[in-house]
Amino acid sequence: MTAFLAILAVGFGTYVSRSIFIIALADRTIPPRVVRALSYVGPAVLSALIVALLVDDSGSVSAGVAEVSAFAAGAFVGWRTRNLIYTVLAGMAAFWLLGVWF
Amino acid sequence: MPLVVSAIPFALVVALAITESGIGNLIGWSSAPIIFAGAAQLTLITLLGTGTAVVAAVSAALVINARHMMYSAALAPTFQKQPKWFRWLGPYALLDQTFALVILRKDDDPKDFRTYYLAASATFIIFWNTTVALGLMVGPVVPESWKLEFAVPVMFVGIVVMSIDHHPKAVAAIVGAGASYLFAGLPNRAGLLVGALFGIVAGVLADRWSER
Repeated sequence: MTAFLAILAVGFGTYVSRSIFIIALADRTIPPRVVRALSYVGPAVLSALIVALLVDDSGSVSAGVAEVSAFAAGAFVGWRTRNLIYTVLAGMAAFWLLGVWF
Repeated sequence: MPLVVSAIPFALVVALAITESGIGNLIGWSSAPIIFAGAAQLTLITLLGTGTAVVAAVSAALVINARHMMYSAALAPTFQKQPKWFRWLGPYALLDQTFALVILRKDDDPKDFRTYYLAASATFIIFWNTTVALGLMVGPVVPESWKLEFAVPVMFVGIVVMSIDHHPKAVAAIVGAGASYLFAGLPNRAGLLVGALFGIVAGVLADRWSER
């Protein structure tokens, strides 16, 4: 039940962030500085999240050779191909292969 | 079309996260029609599954979705020429993919724009809800030893790399990850939000600095 309420809250918040300028501020101009600042939200949050997902229950980051190599492989393939499917395949391939040895 | 196909692994990873989190398939699936944003669904569900405080999980998901305000701002002038019902309904489907498609047509005739927007949205709505449901049915077949859940951070790495189109964004990403690492020990996984905040500030500062 808590999970469902959390989903409702995020759903509402998502709609607000998608609609705020379209509905409420349609006839006003948004300061370009605000729009530019918003463009850094995505990369900053996602990369912070990548690290946060590796945090174990003791509060420290647990990443071995397999994890780091998988990120490197994924980053390289994502940068070269700009394709999310290839990125995930490359990252998981590296993760599985190195996971066998380490 | 390629945009729809590229969302398939994303939908499957979301389904997997739902299975792993133990919040239940139906409640988990309801995030698809209710939130309708892959990265936020993934974040919320994964964090709820790892026992993060609900408030922290919800704020993390909302911060991730703050990028949609950019889309909203970019399309606001186009939507000014649209009827009221469409201004209220349209934003629901303003995904990354929808935005990428419709921003190219922002100067079209208002009626053409509306038709195109509605067609693109309907495609994604149907596709997303069914693929997540399919993933929930197929997911349990995969053995746990494959550690498929690791596909979540790998996918985020790909999204970050692809979103970097100039140096300040790279600065934002690197500082965000670094600060998140340094503050990893904070209770309730607050390190995530602290890290994100550091990253955003670093990006803005790098932006100003590079303009000089």
